[in-house]
Amino acid sequence: MRGFMVFCRKELTESYRSYRLVILLVVMALMGIMSPFTAMILPDILSGSDLGGGLILELPEPTSFDSWTQFFSNVSQMGMLAMILVFAGLMASELSKGTLIPVLTKGIPRGTVILAKFTVATILWSLGYAVSWIICWGYTIYYWGAQDFTHPWITFCAPWLVGELFLALMILGGTLVSNWGGSLGVVAVVVITGNLVNLLPEVRPYNPITLAAGTLGLLDGSHSVEDFTPAIAICVGAIVLCLILSIVVFKRKQL
Amino acid sequence: MNEVLSIQNLHKSFGAAKVLQGISLGVPAGSVYGFLGENGAGKTTTMKIILGLLQGDRGQIHVCGEKVRFGHTTTNRFLGYLPDVPQFYPYMRGREYLKFSGEAAGLSHSQIHQRSGELLELVGLGTVKKKIGAYSRGMKQRLGMAQALIHQPAVLICDEPTSALDPTGRQEILDILRAIRATTTVIFSTHILGDVERICDRAAVLHQGRIVLEGSLGDLKARQGSQGLRLEFASREDLTRFCERVLDEFIELISQTSVIVRTTDIRQEHQVIGMLADATIVPLSLEAISPTIESLFLEAVR
Repeated sequence: MRGFMVFCRKELTESYRSYRLVILLVVMALMGIMSPFTAMILPDILSGSDLGGGLILELPEPTSFDSWTQFFSNVSQMGMLAMILVFAGLMASELSKGTLIPVLTKGIPRGTVILAKFTVATILWSLGYAVSWIICWGYTIYYWGAQDFTHPWITFCAPWLVGELFLALMILGGTLVSNWGGSLGVVAVVVITGNLVNLLPEVRPYNPITLAAGTLGLLDGSHSVEDFTPAIAICVGAIVLCLILSIVVFKRKQL
Repeated sequence: MNEVLSIQNLHKSFGAAKVLQGISLGVPAGSVYGFLGENGAGKTTTMKIILGLLQGDRGQIHVCGEKVRFGHTTTNRFLGYLPDVPQFYPYMRGREYLKFSGEAAGLSHSQIHQRSGELLELVGLGTVKKKIGAYSRGMKQRLGMAQALIHQPAVLICDEPTSALDPTGRQEILDILRAIRATTTVIFSTHILGDVERICDRAAVLHQGRIVLEGSLGDLKARQGSQGLRLEFASREDLTRFCERVLDEFIELISQTSVIVRTTDIRQEHQVIGMLADATIVPLSLEAISPTIESLFLEAVR
């Protein structure tokens, strides 16, 4: 536990001093500001557009649902991309540079390093996600008034959970290959495979990648919690599996 | 003799390349042990296996009586390690890194405070405030030495600590090693033979994955014996008379009145003295040439 706390403190310091935390917070805050704002102005921009043949586009008044649609869309694309770029070097850069060698020879167990890195990355990602969500929520209330959510945790934590999966995958990739290419490659393979698998409707409910785009179906009542449960369970299982594999691989890795 | 490190029959291959082929050695407590070898001889591999960073294929290693296991760090509490190119977190300052290292090693805050101060003074970084990212190579090497010693290890393992440094930097590192030898056993790999001669009391030569020479520096030199005799004569005439009695292939002229006679054993040296007596020449000086660590090394890896 001592080694875990020592390494977590080092990771937090690194996140702060290498501007990892600031970059993530700024990008995620922007997502939070842009989502309701885009939802608000999009009808004004697009309404009245001539679609050709005298057909004029008429859009309905935006609602809070449009704000959350934008939120899920922004977070699953720009937000995830920022998060991936910020954390891609989590294991990879330490292994390629050799900065872990003095640490490991001081007695910090290898498994502790993996768990501490995942823990701190989780804290930062959660913080960034929370900042984004709180800003979006505040503006959504400001523009459209308070709203009741039936299943707020499941509704809004789904993209966060996919972010956690990406973190675990990047740690695994970095541990396996010891460079950024490994971290990014593993995530790319999973994302591409996930999107290809989505073409099969019978597999879609089990595909964690679908969670990245959010659980809008819970907001508009078109889906129930049970519809997302298999994908959430598989996502959690995949995170745990990635971490276990990372520890096993790292323990056997010749440094 | 109390050994802090013992290696028995250690083998290691990387693919088809057999890097270590059954090396065995023992490092007595309190010694400064030079681990010599050409580049690629297997020095770093051996050190990393001792630290549990690499897995040996066969053989056993004991540090302070405890068996080393790959991937485990328990025996590392006895060890301090300075890699050949130490890498640190560039955003930290030296004192901060030592605090982190001390915490990782399980020291208390007061111990860390005290040790950091002592070690930063020892390595000459006591007044340096800048971040490690702005350190020179020599400064990083000295900080590496401090972090390796923060937990007062019984054994300090240094992988070519002086190879990439300028003469001043090298001298500083050797001075530090000399300063800690009273409390810490030092094992350091190098291919700078002069460094071994200056501070080591024992040495092993690793060649093509095998230990080809091992022992105290005094024993190693005595084992090889003299490499020749250096003679200084009173006149050129004496030198000429002497040279007429010795085969040209054994003679190396140094000046008009001095010469080195290459010998391979003590019997030949007796013959040279006999020749002097026969020719009734009394040289001004006669000196046996001791082998240098360089000549021992070259002989061992031939």
